[in-house]
Amino acid sequence: MTGPLGRPPIDPLSEVAWSRIERGVWARLDASAVPEGRRARRWWLVALPVAAAGAVLALVVGLRGPGGRGGAEPTRLVTGAAPSLASFGDAHVELDAATALLLGHDTEHPTAWIEHGAAWFTVAPRGEHAPFVVRAGDATVRVLGTRFRVARSGELITVEVDHGLVDVQFRGVIASVAAHERWSSERPAQTTRIAAAPSTPSPAASEPPAADPAPGSAAAASEPPAGTSAPGAAPGPSTTPAASPAPRSDSPAPAPGASSSSSSSSIAPAAPRHPAPGAAPATTATASTPGPVDRERAEYDRLAALEARAPDAALTGYLALARGTSPWADPALFAAARLAADRHDRRAAPLLALYLQRFPAGANATDASQLLARLKGDPP
Amino acid sequence: MEAPALRATDLELARQAASGDRGAQRRLFLAQRSNVHRALFRILGANRELEDLLQDAFVEIFRALPSFRGDSTLARWCQVIAVRVAYLAIARRRPAAVELGLVEDHLAGDVDVRRSAALREVARRLYTALDRLEPKQRVAFALAAIDGRALAEVAELTGASLFATKTRVWRARRELRRLAGKDAVLTAYLHELEGGPS
Repeated sequence: MTGPLGRPPIDPLSEVAWSRIERGVWARLDASAVPEGRRARRWWLVALPVAAAGAVLALVVGLRGPGGRGGAEPTRLVTGAAPSLASFGDAHVELDAATALLLGHDTEHPTAWIEHGAAWFTVAPRGEHAPFVVRAGDATVRVLGTRFRVARSGELITVEVDHGLVDVQFRGVIASVAAHERWSSERPAQTTRIAAAPSTPSPAASEPPAADPAPGSAAAASEPPAGTSAPGAAPGPSTTPAASPAPRSDSPAPAPGASSSSSSSSIAPAAPRHPAPGAAPATTATASTPGPVDRERAEYDRLAALEARAPDAALTGYLALARGTSPWADPALFAAARLAADRHDRRAAPLLALYLQRFPAGANATDASQLLARLKGDPP
Repeated sequence: MEAPALRATDLELARQAASGDRGAQRRLFLAQRSNVHRALFRILGANRELEDLLQDAFVEIFRALPSFRGDSTLARWCQVIAVRVAYLAIARRRPAAVELGLVEDHLAGDVDVRRSAALREVARRLYTALDRLEPKQRVAFALAAIDGRALAEVAELTGASLFATKTRVWRARRELRRLAGKDAVLTAYLHELEGGPS
């Protein structure tokens, strides 16, 4: 490298992070004014280890109809290694593992903010009421009644619609996403067709919340520990999230939607964890090939499940897997870079650059370039 | 805006915020957040764990607002507090150095990508070395050499004399060169930082 490098870049904080900081400041100032209030200081820092300890969170947010707690502070839901269920007014929310969600209590304009992770939302027809809104970074999803998934990994946002129709507004671009379509902030003006996978969430999951017998503490009590959840174990209306223990399966790794093929059932939580077939020379081996590839696939799946509760170990494992020449080196290296970026780890950019060097036509090359550009602070 | 007018605006905003006006507090927060973030980031080197420190800094700022007399701009006054918060953080516990495997020194590909990757890599090495410096030297070096501030400004931000500031920066440079040892990349980058604004 020749020529001056310049000063190290100052990585910006996201608006969500600033919002979190601002809330923390006001909470601490208020707490210092009321001594008893000090117990509330940084309550969310307590919530995270509790959730990470493996306790399954199943909350019923007490917002039923227009008589809700208008003007109250938002409720923050955090899941650790296990997925979770929550009701939010007439909406039913299935949180992935390692997800943080804010639920606003303005019942006239119900809004959920995804800080990170992913969640399925089942929204009953809104009728005369204002649309249900989900915000993730700069993306705003408006919905009048449907089932859809919003995922956020850093500044990368994806929306998948199971049935119904939603509008996504992102930095001045408005896109309509119909059933079995996927939208990504990488290409905000486009939607991609996704196949309805056999392993798509169970029919019960897509039932409107009117049939929901209020999943609450009973569901939480019966849900198995992290990583061992079994379909049907929870009596709630949907056991789909528990059946897909892979955290951040919505995140770009390894190449959801990177291939134009519609055969990848990215709506099914497990599918995106497989490398896109044929997307790169290294990925020509199919997942059904017996032998080392199967073992590496199993290792990759294990690491994906490990991300939420032991991210350092997952990152180390991904890097070890990436050193090989198997088809899983590509997704493993990208997953390591993506995980590092999620954690504001300084290794993210060098890893992405290394990924682009090793796999210039890899299944995740587009995602890697865009993520690297974001880390550099370049406009999209 | 002229300096006296700016000071008057700052004083009025500080007065309102100090009185507990949440709207004024929020305006102050929004106006100063990038200033405070910059100072903290330059000293700490990453956003990791910075959210807590930003909270600490702003809580200190709001608590100290009644003492703001307008002798400096509000921006400078907030930065002084941010620098103090950063100093206390690194004096309390030094962040662990991050091990980096797998990444190669010389990356092929797009020039911008290579430059960006190289810059981040050398910045990582620099901050790893800074972790081993005495905190006052680190703060002075980060503000003067990395952020490019004048020594007089660094002296004002750190509450030290100009002579003490010069000494700290000089000692930091000497120690960093020693720590860089045979690391040609870091040595070259230290040399670049000594060359003034790039």
